[in-house]
Amino acid sequence: MNNIYIYDGDFISLLNIILYLLKNNLHPENIKTDVYHPSLFENTIYLSILKNEKIIDQIISAFGQYAMRSMYYVFLSKEENKELILYYFFQNALKRRHKIMYYHNLKCVSEVLRISNYVRHETHKMKGFLRFKELEKNILYAEMEPTNNILFLVSCHFVNRLKNEFWVIKDNKRKIISIYDKKQFVIVKEEEFKLSQKESKGEQNIEFLWRIFYKTIGIKERRNERCRMNFMPKKYWKYITEVKEEL
Amino acid sequence: MELQEKLKILADSAKYDASCSSSGSNRKSGSGVGNTAIAGICHSFASDGRCISLLKILLTNCCIFDCKYCLNRKSNNIKRAIFTPEEICTLTLNFYRRNYIEGLFLSSGIIKNPDYTMELLIKTIFLLRNKYHFNGYIHAKAIPGASPKLLKKLGLLVDRLSANIELPTENGLKLLAPNKESKNVSQIMEYVKINQSKKYVPAGQSTQMIIGATKETDLQIMSKSANLYNQYHLKRVFYSAYVPINKDNLLPSLEHPPLIRENRLYQADWLLRYYNFKVTDLLDVKNPNFNILIDPKADWALRHLEEFPKEINTCSYNELLKIPGIGVKSARRIISSRRNFTIHLEDLKRMGVVLKRAKYFILCNGKYITNKEFFNKKFIERNVMLEERSLIPTNKEQLRLF
Ligand code: SF4
Repeated sequence: MNNIYIYDGDFISLLNIILYLLKNNLHPENIKTDVYHPSLFENTIYLSILKNEKIIDQIISAFGQYAMRSMYYVFLSKEENKELILYYFFQNALKRRHKIMYYHNLKCVSEVLRISNYVRHETHKMKGFLRFKELEKNILYAEMEPTNNILFLVSCHFVNRLKNEFWVIKDNKRKIISIYDKKQFVIVKEEEFKLSQKESKGEQNIEFLWRIFYKTIGIKERRNERCRMNFMPKKYWKYITEVKEEL
Repeated sequence: MELQEKLKILADSAKYDASCSSSGSNRKSGSGVGNTAIAGICHSFASDGRCISLLKILLTNCCIFDCKYCLNRKSNNIKRAIFTPEEICTLTLNFYRRNYIEGLFLSSGIIKNPDYTMELLIKTIFLLRNKYHFNGYIHAKAIPGASPKLLKKLGLLVDRLSANIELPTENGLKLLAPNKESKNVSQIMEYVKINQSKKYVPAGQSTQMIIGATKETDLQIMSKSANLYNQYHLKRVFYSAYVPINKDNLLPSLEHPPLIRENRLYQADWLLRYYNFKVTDLLDVKNPNFNILIDPKADWALRHLEEFPKEINTCSYNELLKIPGIGVKSARRIISSRRNFTIHLEDLKRMGVVLKRAKYFILCNGKYITNKEFFNKKFIERNVMLEERSLIPTNKEQLRLF
């Protein structure tokens, strides 16, 4: 029978389920969140397993910080079968322990590396590409549509960068919002938070000045559209103040 | 004059400076505005594909000097502008809060004299740091000829302080920048080197050379770079393909900036800093210029084919670095992996090796990837050139130039 194990979409639950499956020698066909629609030939199984938070520390001490972080990044990715990849990674890590990340010849390791790097890169890009608007009452507001679920990682960056500002970042793809109150940020669903989108008085002028700068700083004798696209893919342009008009 | 017009003029006159990086510093935000990221962050890319990380502007484009290659030279009849310190602060802070930039790059034409200009730079940056508590990245250009006292003041306020050497030889400088003295630039470099610390110019110094405005060879340019890295511990040397802005009999009449040459110099610069190459490995008096058609590393390998193919599973780290298609990261991965297992061909791609390039130069478990008959200079050279052609973003004009 093709057993699909179901979890609640939480990282810690997923790790606990994987550990349970491995301990009991159960081979999943796949592991999916509870929004999954199984086909006729698939059997979905809900396990009620305690959500043990200590598993994070256990993984760090058994496989190392780097492996732990990479697993988390894979979890945040849009990869179709990421849960299953993490299952195989976990299985092999139990054998290789701290050395697991060196085993590039194992498919699950090279997959974890590839996917986690992708998430890491996108996060790094977004630290640069995110654009805030100033709303009334000095609130900074930004929207994005990243390929991977990086709102948490991006928010961590802006906690340090814009420490003494009120800011709000919205992921339009996943309909979630991160809100920062000068102390900490929380991530909530779109419908749980209402915000007046009215811009501050000076906003249009600053955006205008920025566009002037952007247009001026390129050297026309060196024009290189291909290079620009490579570094700043079109999929991000919709929210980038200085280029969205070119779309 | 309106702020927008000033911004246009003073960004336009700053755009030829190639420096873009915002890395190497980790200022914490504390109670102020912003911080810096040790790895640097690119915020945008201009129409020329270059990264935009800092608000790159001149304080003023007025200048008492008359450097032949420069847009701002005294003899050019152009609109002149000068920012007030408050205007620069407003722009920097507003752009920074909206996450347009990592910080400020501030340079200036020379007004009145070097010290006077330096004082203006200091005043501006002092305001930004102390009145507005700005903790983002600041890269300032030191004005050659300014007094050490001012170099000290400015260096304590910024992350990076640098002076452009502009041309690789004294002769070039005499010809095109008759008011400038190279010793003024080296004095700044020396001063920054001696005083550099966590508090003073924490991100170190860099410099820039203009490529193609004078007749210097790549050998002269690279030797100069190697020299600068050794002597002054520079973080970066930037190469800026000469863009023909002014007409002057002393300047070459290029139609296009020599971009491929610039790219080759960057590649070679990389080889010096991270791949343990020496200038003399890459160039000599008989071949003083880089091959425009092949990147410097592959070119070197082709001239030393007797050292190849190298066995991935046994050769040293240093040898791995010399293989075209293998970078620092993949070399490290290979070393750490092969302690645990024997590397097979199919593993190499996963380790970031560019097989398309490396395949001519390696053995994997004693196996040569393509037909061993084809292991000869002519065959490999032709294939590498074909690949390069598609890599170089260029127009035909440029190739004709060389
Ligand atoms: S000193 Fe020379 S290079 Fe610098 S702004 Fe003046 S003319 Fe231009």
